[in-house]
Amino acid sequence: MQATVLTATLSGVEALPVEVQADVTSGLPSFIIVGLPDAAVQEARDRVRSAIKASGFDFPNARVVVNLAPAPLRKHGTGFDLPIALAILTATRQIHVNATAGASAVGELALDGSVRSVSGMLAFVIAAADADVEIIGPSAALRTAHVVDGVRSRRLDSLAQLRTGPLPEGTCVPIRQTEHPQPDLAEVAGHNAAKRALEIAAAGGHNLVMIGPPGSGKTLLARRLPGILPPLSPLERMQTALVHSVGGLDEAPTLAGVRPFRAPHHTCSIAGLAGGGSPPRPGEMSLAHNGVLFLDELPEFGPAALQTLRQPLEDGFLTLVRAEGRVRYPADFTLIGAMNPCPCGYLGDPERHCSCSPWAINRYDARVGGPLMDRMDLVIRMDRIDPDLLIAASPSEPSAPVRQRVLETRAFAAERGDLASKLSGTALLAACALDGQTSRLFTEIARTKHFSGRAVTRVLRVARTIADIERSRRVMTSHISEAVSYRDRSGE
Amino acid sequence: MSEPYRRSEIRLGDPAYPGCLLDLSDPPKVLYVAGDPANLRPGLAVIGARRATLYGLGCASRFAGWAAAAGATIISGAAIGCDQAAHRAARAVPAPTVAVLGCGADVDYPNNAVSLLAELRENCTVVSELPWGSHPARWAFVRRNRIIAALSAAVLVVEAGLPSGTFSTADHALAIGRDVLAIPGSINAPECRGPNRLIQAGATIITDATDLADALEAAGLLVDRSTPEAVNHKAHLSEIERAVRSDPMRPDDLARALTQDVVKVLRILGELELTNRVIRLRDGRYGVPQPTARRQ
Repeated sequence: MQATVLTATLSGVEALPVEVQADVTSGLPSFIIVGLPDAAVQEARDRVRSAIKASGFDFPNARVVVNLAPAPLRKHGTGFDLPIALAILTATRQIHVNATAGASAVGELALDGSVRSVSGMLAFVIAAADADVEIIGPSAALRTAHVVDGVRSRRLDSLAQLRTGPLPEGTCVPIRQTEHPQPDLAEVAGHNAAKRALEIAAAGGHNLVMIGPPGSGKTLLARRLPGILPPLSPLERMQTALVHSVGGLDEAPTLAGVRPFRAPHHTCSIAGLAGGGSPPRPGEMSLAHNGVLFLDELPEFGPAALQTLRQPLEDGFLTLVRAEGRVRYPADFTLIGAMNPCPCGYLGDPERHCSCSPWAINRYDARVGGPLMDRMDLVIRMDRIDPDLLIAASPSEPSAPVRQRVLETRAFAAERGDLASKLSGTALLAACALDGQTSRLFTEIARTKHFSGRAVTRVLRVARTIADIERSRRVMTSHISEAVSYRDRSGE
Repeated sequence: MSEPYRRSEIRLGDPAYPGCLLDLSDPPKVLYVAGDPANLRPGLAVIGARRATLYGLGCASRFAGWAAAAGATIISGAAIGCDQAAHRAARAVPAPTVAVLGCGADVDYPNNAVSLLAELRENCTVVSELPWGSHPARWAFVRRNRIIAALSAAVLVVEAGLPSGTFSTADHALAIGRDVLAIPGSINAPECRGPNRLIQAGATIITDATDLADALEAAGLLVDRSTPEAVNHKAHLSEIERAVRSDPMRPDDLARALTQDVVKVLRILGELELTNRVIRLRDGRYGVPQPTARRQ
């Protein structure tokens, strides 16, 4: 007796359809899974056997062969437990074939027969919607399923439910649109120059490096960037939620429009940052998709890990190539770096004396590497502020009006063309529309100041965003002179 | 292998051996000279810390430049900071200058001095008591300081923190009876504590070219007093330039001090920086470059 149940397996952020075929024949009792299962799938045998028995069904005292098709595709994870159990129960006529017909089932089984969530449920839901089949899974995992257009879901929280009648339809649990409170800029006193740079970064999507001694408020400020970025668009929500779902994170805040803010510790490995492992999982760069990746203590990250940032910063995605195939993860994020000015941290601090030699400072800078610094449009210096000023400081501007300006600037930029941070070459020059005099002046300056091609691009990009903030179609000299002050400190 | 410079070895007792070195209790046995040995005559040593402020660099460059133009050979150690500023100011005149190294006279050290040293070997003099090709070693730099002191008629300490290797040169100078001159600095700057301390202990205070001319004549050097000083007094300084002239400042502090919007201040600073009227320091502060430092 044979039966087939549909399911899927993850590859990157996509779920690929898989058929679970069960064949129960007379013979010596055995339970075999074939079709490139990984270790977690092989373990399904014991969970499935116990769960079936615990739910009041009979596990066939016969030869059971389960095939996962297509056979050449490697199958990962514990989501195969449920479809395997359903296929065996259907093949032994313990449940009606209609119970699983036209449905894709995904879920992990506990020994008592209850069904547990697996990561990547959103990907499975999307795959089911694409294939125009229902999705069967635990209700906890399906609570965000309704965000996918045209999906029909059925909840199955325990195998025993199959004995009591048809499965309940997945009910639409609206995602609570509660404001996920974001830290507010009003809580940061002083640092007006840095706040200005943060606003430019938000408005133009520029990457930003903050250099300053410990306790100068770098992290404080970085955490406030998501709060002044525009909310996620519906498309961005789906993209980001998908990555979070596959990465095993709660996708609900993302679906409510909150931009991700990822701040991995500097001991993060290459695979942790870029993604990888077996089976491959998205890394921090992908989890920060459409949001902010904050790397505190930038030079303390492994040099190899840092260099993996370069390609995604250019392309907005990254492709992992492994023996078993290639997977592509989205990774379009704003990078915020924070670093000390020197190894001891106190270079330029008004109170504490820096004890580093010039060589040690150069070496420290070199750890981040030129190619990565080349991708950072804004480099700002931050300093500890005087406690007196901290207490006496006039109230700072809260995030809401800043965000409003950012939204307006982005709207202006969208009308003009691309975000400035995405422009380069002739498109950038065209977007800047420098008039003859400004152009001559800038060329002259670039020559006398020995700007590299990259430096020219960065200054112009930032100047373009500053002009956007002021709703200026042309980039003026004043915009360029401000942009110059956000240049990195090389060549001094 | 043909080199663009001349190598010579001068032994203790040779007629060409600089007599001033004999004041030392342990004069070098052999001097390894790259370039012209004729420059090994008493001059003005200009020394200072590697980690120098704009003020220190400006002073090193200003006084070395003036003394070189007035006829004194400038002696220093080619180190990062004040030393290099002094050498460069002398070369800008152009006037002879001598670099005394703590490694072989044909070895390029420090790394950022490669082109400067090449220029000095070709047109001036680089000297060391260590054999050709010797690698730099910490102890050697302390030893070479006594040669800098002995080669000079007077030692000008521009800027040095406490403690600093610059002091070993000043100590050697005092031990063999050379005059020690010092440039006063801000009492707020740790980089200026050295010269201020020297002045307190009796060093000759140098505040302008006249002071320096007096001091050099007192030390027995012939200088042309009428040499004009290369300070161009700027007719008009903007408000921001005046604010950062004596002490470099950060944009945020400037904006607060001038009660102006920080964006406006950033723009003015950017504009001034692009025209070289202010420069941005590595620690993010802005300062006014010293006039003669601009020749570099």
